[in-house]
Amino acid sequence: MLRHLFKLIWNKKGTHSLLIIEVWAAFMVLFGVLTLIVFNLRNYLQPIGFQYEQVWNLELSSNQDTTDIAAKLQRTMQRVRSYSEVTAASRMSSNTPFSANQIGNSVNYNKVDVGADFYYTDSEFNRVLDVPVKKGRWYADADLVGKFIPIVINQVMENKLFQNESGLNKVIKRSDNVTYKVVGVVDKFKGKGLFMSDSPALFQLLEKNDRWNSNILIKTKPGTDANFEARLVKDVAMMLPGWGVEVGYLKDSRKNRENLTLVPVLIFLIVSGFLLTNVALGLFGVLNLNIAKRKGEIGLRRAMGATESKVTGQFLGEIWVLATFSLIIGLIFAVQFPLMNVFDLDKEIYIIAILAAVAVIYIIVTLCAWFPSKQAAMIHPAVALHEE
Amino acid sequence: MIKLQNVEKVYRTSSIETLALNNINVDVKKGEFVSIMGPSGCGKSTLLNIIGLLDAPSKGQIEIDGSPVERYTDKHLAELRNRKLGFIFQSFHLINDLSVIDNVEIPLLYRNTSGKERRELAQAALEKVGLSNRMKHFPKQLSGGQKQRVAIARAIVGNPEIILADEPTGNLDSAMGNEILGILQKLNSDGATIVMVTHDEAMAKKTDRLIRLFDGTQVG
Repeated sequence: MLRHLFKLIWNKKGTHSLLIIEVWAAFMVLFGVLTLIVFNLRNYLQPIGFQYEQVWNLELSSNQDTTDIAAKLQRTMQRVRSYSEVTAASRMSSNTPFSANQIGNSVNYNKVDVGADFYYTDSEFNRVLDVPVKKGRWYADADLVGKFIPIVINQVMENKLFQNESGLNKVIKRSDNVTYKVVGVVDKFKGKGLFMSDSPALFQLLEKNDRWNSNILIKTKPGTDANFEARLVKDVAMMLPGWGVEVGYLKDSRKNRENLTLVPVLIFLIVSGFLLTNVALGLFGVLNLNIAKRKGEIGLRRAMGATESKVTGQFLGEIWVLATFSLIIGLIFAVQFPLMNVFDLDKEIYIIAILAAVAVIYIIVTLCAWFPSKQAAMIHPAVALHEE
Repeated sequence: MIKLQNVEKVYRTSSIETLALNNINVDVKKGEFVSIMGPSGCGKSTLLNIIGLLDAPSKGQIEIDGSPVERYTDKHLAELRNRKLGFIFQSFHLINDLSVIDNVEIPLLYRNTSGKERRELAQAALEKVGLSNRMKHFPKQLSGGQKQRVAIARAIVGNPEIILADEPTGNLDSAMGNEILGILQKLNSDGATIVMVTHDEAMAKKTDRLIRLFDGTQVG
């Protein structure tokens, strides 16, 4: 029967070409949207790698002030750490967790180049964000006296850069020949939020007299409220006259950041939802028309021994065969993505998206064909033959 | 072989009730070639549909091989149509998107027949009607007579005991019509029971027995 259906659809391929293209287009759009969803969902299910609930971001900007910046920042740090409401505080570069800023560079080890997010932080960073160190240790101020700049990397960076070796105590080079020594490895660090993929990250110890990195992450005690925030801003503003002082909560930044990821996904979902609805309605209409035009054939098949369920099965089978033709064409395009490693995404993401898109297409065509097929089966054979 | 007792068929709409068949009693014996004649609208095709289990009577009883079929399920009726009956229609009812041989194979699709066996049986049926050289053609490439021969091949491919033909020569010229009747007579002489609806008195006279209908009533 399957061969018969293939023959029937193949012989009518000219008539069905638009329908085949429509289902193919729906598959491609669905594949794109599902890739996006699977990518984000997989990221979402991976732990973020740090704690941010009680952490504030004190953003300082020196504006016109150019004198003694490093010392002023050091004094501010001391002041911040002195509050009883503060558990720990750490200075870092402007690419604080969930911010839109990004600092990237590539490093090299044994002819292997890896691009990574660079975070310039101090020795307190892992305490502020509760970043567990998996191997080695977090760098300390004392490491600054060494020949190489101490860094901590994350697991994915270690895997990429050192392949199957341990990265601990290895010396690596930045693209401008600055040399680093790996003193520790942390597990995950998804600085842009849960939807971010676990990409290579490198934490570099700030120099004592650094004057460029003026964000302070503050871990507060539970229950610390806006009163402390007001006091903190007031005190810091008094210490740094003319500077810009802003406090943001990381948990709020996280929500904003995640919305930036979710909104495009939602827009794509809505657009593809409309498209799929159109495809479904189109299919439904075409099938209804098809069945009306093929009443004689239905009557004939009933006369030849087809039961009602076999007529339903035939029309469902035809639409599955038709969808299969479209999907075969679609798969030729879709499999290029994992094969050619497009967008550097994990192959598994594409494979899951392909399988899900195939399943959704079959579900849609089945739902669209079900009602017309049932109606076809219910046509009385004598009436169907008479109408022809 | 086919027995109809007091068969009545009424078509009802919300406002009209039409008596299509009234008190029909038919007994077709195995191996008979029976024709049903009558003017247009007298109920010939309705009677053939009832005999062919494509339609149910409003009243009366139908027996095929001594078994009443009223209580048969859709599945059972379909199996009976597939195994015992072969249909030939005036308008051929060929599927234009399938080749001649694929059209002939259709009844065998509803049995557990392998693809190879289906092909062999369809080829044999086409040989019987003299169309073995047209197997790969499509219906649109055939003449009316050839189409009807394909329809006959399709009717006989499953080796049914009864062939029901609804004006099989109605769309053909007299030469073609005679040719088709010749094939049916040959099938009858080979053992098939045939019930044929026709308008053509001359054709009807060539069959064993004639059932005449007028306004849904059996008049002869």
